[in-house]
Amino acid sequence: MKDPSTHLSLKTLLNPNFLRLVTSFAEESAKAFGLGAAEALKLTLACEEIFIYLCQAGRPDETITIEAANGGYYAQLKFLFKTHEFNPRAFNLTASVSLEDQTSLEEMGLLIASRSVDRFYITGSPQQGLELVLVKEKSYPELGELEVPEIKAIKNFSFRTPDPENLKLFVRLVVAHYPAHLYLPSFRFPGKVVDMIASGEYSAAVALGEQGQIGGGIVWRWVGNKTVELFGPYLFHQPADSQLANELVDSCLGRIAKTEAIGLISRTSTPELPERYFEHLGSVDFIQPGGTSQPWPVYYRQLYEDLGCQVWAHPDLHGFLRGEYERLAFAREIRLTRHEGERRPPYSVFAAQFDRAHHQITLRAIWDGEDAATNLAQHVKVLRVENLPNIFFEIDLAQAWQADLIPALLENGFRPRLILPYGGQADILVFQYQGGK
Amino acid sequence: MLDVSLDILVPEYIKKFEPYIPSKPDAELMKLYGCDHLYRLNNNENPLGPPAAAQEILSRFKPPKAAIYPSGDSYYLRYKLALKHDLDPDQFLVGNGANEVITFVIKAFCQEGDNIITADKTFAVYEWVAEFSGFEARLVPLKDFCFDDQGMLDRIDDRTKILFICNPNNPTGTYWDEATLRRFLKTVAGRQIVVVDEAYFEFVEREDYPDGIKLLREYPNLVVFRTFSKMYGLAGLRVGYLVGNLDVVNMIRRTCVVYSVNTLAQEAAVVALDDDDHLQRTRRLIRSEKVYLQQQMDRLNLETQIGEGCFMMVKLPMSDTLAYRKLMTHGVMVRSMTGFRYPNWIRVSIGTHEAMEAFMTALKKILL
Repeated sequence: MKDPSTHLSLKTLLNPNFLRLVTSFAEESAKAFGLGAAEALKLTLACEEIFIYLCQAGRPDETITIEAANGGYYAQLKFLFKTHEFNPRAFNLTASVSLEDQTSLEEMGLLIASRSVDRFYITGSPQQGLELVLVKEKSYPELGELEVPEIKAIKNFSFRTPDPENLKLFVRLVVAHYPAHLYLPSFRFPGKVVDMIASGEYSAAVALGEQGQIGGGIVWRWVGNKTVELFGPYLFHQPADSQLANELVDSCLGRIAKTEAIGLISRTSTPELPERYFEHLGSVDFIQPGGTSQPWPVYYRQLYEDLGCQVWAHPDLHGFLRGEYERLAFAREIRLTRHEGERRPPYSVFAAQFDRAHHQITLRAIWDGEDAATNLAQHVKVLRVENLPNIFFEIDLAQAWQADLIPALLENGFRPRLILPYGGQADILVFQYQGGK
Repeated sequence: MLDVSLDILVPEYIKKFEPYIPSKPDAELMKLYGCDHLYRLNNNENPLGPPAAAQEILSRFKPPKAAIYPSGDSYYLRYKLALKHDLDPDQFLVGNGANEVITFVIKAFCQEGDNIITADKTFAVYEWVAEFSGFEARLVPLKDFCFDDQGMLDRIDDRTKILFICNPNNPTGTYWDEATLRRFLKTVAGRQIVVVDEAYFEFVEREDYPDGIKLLREYPNLVVFRTFSKMYGLAGLRVGYLVGNLDVVNMIRRTCVVYSVNTLAQEAAVVALDDDDHLQRTRRLIRSEKVYLQQQMDRLNLETQIGEGCFMMVKLPMSDTLAYRKLMTHGVMVRSMTGFRYPNWIRVSIGTHEAMEAFMTALKKILL
């Protein structure tokens, strides 16, 4: 059983009569978990929007479970329900409450909810049911005047998990020494980073000199069950030939080497990242709302010997995949798949994961459907209006039906950018929307 | 369909434990990596195979004997070992590979709240068995590639039951000399069980290398592991054993699964012990191929860690798991070391000269 001090749950009927109960549960649990009044209210508003939306999409005698969780630096609400009780189309971000009603884009329930929270995503499968998750982060004081000690080259280091004070100092040093795109936006809030590490979602190691000076550090977090993402390594005034960057990466690898993580990725690599430790998977374009674009290289390191696996591909991308697998020396048996006139379900469903800090959204397919291409076009239209220029679509190559979506993706201006080995059940192929490019 | 309540049924320490997934069979790997041959240099097997007499046992095995249970406690093998080491046969327990006797010892001495101590970069099975049995494994960092005796002693508390020392250590090949081992045993003073895993004992030719079995009379808390999987070339049959003080072994016997060692393994092991020539030929091969590899690595300016045993470590200027995949495309399989907490190192088993040349050719290609 989950710890009631950090996990609460409410099981209720999908009936608008219970709206007060649901919103009270959301608001009071958020406050109990440490959210300020303003943040708790925003989470409650999003919860209200979702509950009303679900009441309209489902039947009033059906049940739903809402779980509230304390993530340390955020509060989370999770809506769990069986999908067979719903019209699946309703879970597309672009679906209006009434399918016949041409409601304007601004009034789509799921989008409205997404605007009030820091993270919002739908996940699941037809077999296991769907989860709708809202995350609202706590409010922390932003970094004020940067007072950082002068760091000199240090000869002998030891590597430690930093205590809260050293962690805050490390964060200040990172902000003082590195441009903003090379660290997490949360680094502007040192107290938040302390809570992020305490929550266990993130980990950090710092290199301490003999007098306790911080020469550098590294941060990592779990992304799903099999992948760990690395931030850094960050070095402060250490000589170019220092082995410190290598040792910081070693320190991270030593901590995750015997866990269930299969791969380590770096999407915000500092110049000190020892490239020989990593494989270059490719890059994506990071587009600012103003339209300027910057390539973001993605590095990867496998943690285990590769056992090889089978992946599905549409013939349109067979050449791309074959080339990438050969370049990366991954043993893959590529099986080709395509629609050959067989009957398909009428409606597709795509799940969305918002990352508003990076003006980014990632779509994943939950259901295949005859309308995949038009549904995707509709998503792109809505997301562009929503000012989210970085639109990604991930397909899991373990699923033949997902590989069958490739023509719809290509037709809608998506291009394959890179493969994330074992990012899903098998490898994930990442597409980026590039419009007319 | 009924749901299984796994969340309730499975202990927390099992939920946290990550299963070990062994590599696929050779034929599958060759198909996946598109190679027409495969040199397996990842498991420290004997490139010369089993001794001749053991091969004779295998080829003469009469199929109807497969229907009959083996000796439940490896009777003749224990008597043979006792004769060889001048000990009581009941001081030996034979298992389905040394991995099984690790389980016997941990089950015999540990209960909830207890811990074991070993090194962070050593044979992983001590740590695994402890953890998936619900006991804490305290891992002491190696010091200069070697087990840190003082570091291990410092981690002992009143819930420490077993200290595992791999001597020589896999993968670094370092070893404690007799003086170090004696000093360690003297300090422990019988308060804990000290297991010395001598899986690579027969490969070591150093004069100061201790024979753990000879120390048993002086240190009753000492338990020694040996195996037939390495020098004796019987890895495919899975047979290993432990030896210790009679009272200690009688306790461990209570947790011992009988009938786990098959007939072929027992018979082949009995005759393998007599083949000194096989042992000498293997040692010569390992010695000469280590020299060859060291010279080759020096030419490539690659750092190595070569100690005792039939393997060596090489530090690569690239990810070891990438090197593993690239070497596989050339039909060479090594052990990547990230899982041993040695990122960018690989461990190479010493094989025939042909295999070593194939490895070097492939390595040069992938480093280009």
